Amino acid sequence: MTAEHEHVITIRGLVNRFGKQVVHDQLDLDVRRDEILGVVGGSGTGKSVLLRSILGLHGPNEGIIEVLGQRIRHHEPGPHKQWGVLFQGGALLSGLTVQENVELPIALHSNLPIETRRELAVLKIFMVGLDLTAAAKYPNELSGGMRKRASLARALALEPRVLFLDEPTAGLDPISATEFDELVRYLHANLDLTIVMITHDVDSLFGICNRVAVLVNKGIIVDTLDEIVKHPDPWIQKYFGDPRAVRARRAAKAKVIT
Amino acid sequence: MENYLTVEETADGLDVSLKGDWIFSNVAFLQEMLDSIDPGDSTAIRFSCGGLGAFDLAGAWALYEKSMDFEELDLKTEFEGFKARHFKFLQHIIDIAAQKEYVPGYFDPKPNHVISQGIRKLGANTIEAIDSVGYIARSVLDGIKRPSRLVIGETIRQVFATGAAAIPIVMTVCFLMGIVLAYQSARQLEQFGANIFMVDLVANAIFRELGVLLAAIMVAGRSGSAFAAALGTMKLSEEIDALRVLGLNPNQILIIPRILGLMIALPLLTVFADIAGLLGGAFIGATVLDINWFSFTERLAGTIDVNDVLVGISKAPVFAFLIAVTGTLRGMQVSGSADELGRLTTVAVVQSIFLIIVSDAIFTVVYSRIGF
Repeated sequence: MTAEHEHVITIRGLVNRFGKQVVHDQLDLDVRRDEILGVVGGSGTGKSVLLRSILGLHGPNEGIIEVLGQRIRHHEPGPHKQWGVLFQGGALLSGLTVQENVELPIALHSNLPIETRRELAVLKIFMVGLDLTAAAKYPNELSGGMRKRASLARALALEPRVLFLDEPTAGLDPISATEFDELVRYLHANLDLTIVMITHDVDSLFGICNRVAVLVNKGIIVDTLDEIVKHPDPWIQKYFGDPRAVRARRAAKAKVIT
Repeated sequence: MENYLTVEETADGLDVSLKGDWIFSNVAFLQEMLDSIDPGDSTAIRFSCGGLGAFDLAGAWALYEKSMDFEELDLKTEFEGFKARHFKFLQHIIDIAAQKEYVPGYFDPKPNHVISQGIRKLGANTIEAIDSVGYIARSVLDGIKRPSRLVIGETIRQVFATGAAAIPIVMTVCFLMGIVLAYQSARQLEQFGANIFMVDLVANAIFRELGVLLAAIMVAGRSGSAFAAALGTMKLSEEIDALRVLGLNPNQILIIPRILGLMIALPLLTVFADIAGLLGGAFIGATVLDINWFSFTERLAGTIDVNDVLVGISKAPVFAFLIAVTGTLRGMQVSGSADELGRLTTVAVVQSIFLIIVSDAIFTVVYSRIGF
């Protein structure tokens, strides 16, 4: 990476208030191209509100948000073809099979013939490690991990440049969670993807993120993992001083060495 | 075409140089152009990719598919100047996919068993209905034996929600129905100069049939759907399972209060419906037909006795039972998806209105046989 980073997402002066409660106060954030940015923060620090603001699902009180150079406004179409979102619960349409769920964005945003559409969808389904049996199933017939994978396939259907993951490993067992982390890393290595990931999972944080953004004191602190653990903020110290985090960090380091 | 690829024939095969953006939004066009390449007599095709702009997985896929087509025609394909990693990635995915077994049934058309499936579904539905009616009956009996188990508060809340809250709409509809009946009967009776008999017609129709029927149909639309939707949503969000695990019987705390509540509410609602219907008739009598309020009530007292009123009201608990059981049963059958919830809510309303009318027909026949 050069010294001049290309920014995929820029946020300037973001303010979000709910009644008297201020969630974000003059928040600035830059997401660099090709990085995996992990977003962490305690409950109520506005991780989801931040994501929803970036996606244009929530209208912030103040501030400017740009994704891929396009200004994001509440209730207005954003760069739909260039971003993909994996919602926390998967948010697959329950009336459609996995195959149809993945085909849907392709059908909406292109004029490809049905055959091509189907084959591209199958390609995406294979890409996330599912097979044709799973493709023919309805979302409620899938396990939690498979549902996340299917949802990821839908998010990737239009070859997005930015991928948002909202707690991708929440509710998965450790093995599935590790596999999902592997999958994200694998996709990131092979596609030109910038990934913004909200997570509570310290393992995925240390395992796959390049940089970490911590939401504290209504603002945000962004740094590389090695630097952020040294930050004096009490919440950060507590978070990364937690035995689980320490263990995850050691594990991640050991992995790099071997 | 020149924007994306150029074809050149050389001594040792076809030279295809690619340029421009090979990305998702161009795929349809790219496929067309790739298909237009005519290999002619060449035995080898060389794709030079040095000039490519953006290149994503969809573009790579289009190219890969075409090269596979050429390979099948015994043409050698090779790629030059490949800087993008997508192709390797694509190859990797396709290799993994190839290792997986072909699963029959996905793209194969399935045999169509409409009739046998229909019969099976009918049987399953019937068994389920009998099962749950029995289950509900047992809970009711249990409640009668041990009244402490009845959830009184919830029952009263249901009486309010399904009965009291429905009074304005039910009364409006019945008032209008009274007006319609009065007008229509007066038009016929005028020919015989027997306008006053309008009172008999309106009163009999409202008391014996229409009051209770309209109230029941309105309630089926209002509360039957509400029951199905509420229970269905609770089922989807696993609230019902949570109750079971906590040792609470969902029948007792969700279904019985709704059934009892509606069985209390609908007879009372019928009284209001009857009153509104009569008012509608009397209103038209007084304003249009020259039958004043006094002669209306006098005629009414002469033609109607308490049996007529009871005939109507006696049907109400049965209708209420049918509405509540259908609504709650369909709600409890919801599983899986939001679509299912919508479908079963519709089914609940349609079936309860159907059952109301069927049972009303039975009531009418039976009552006229026994002279009630």
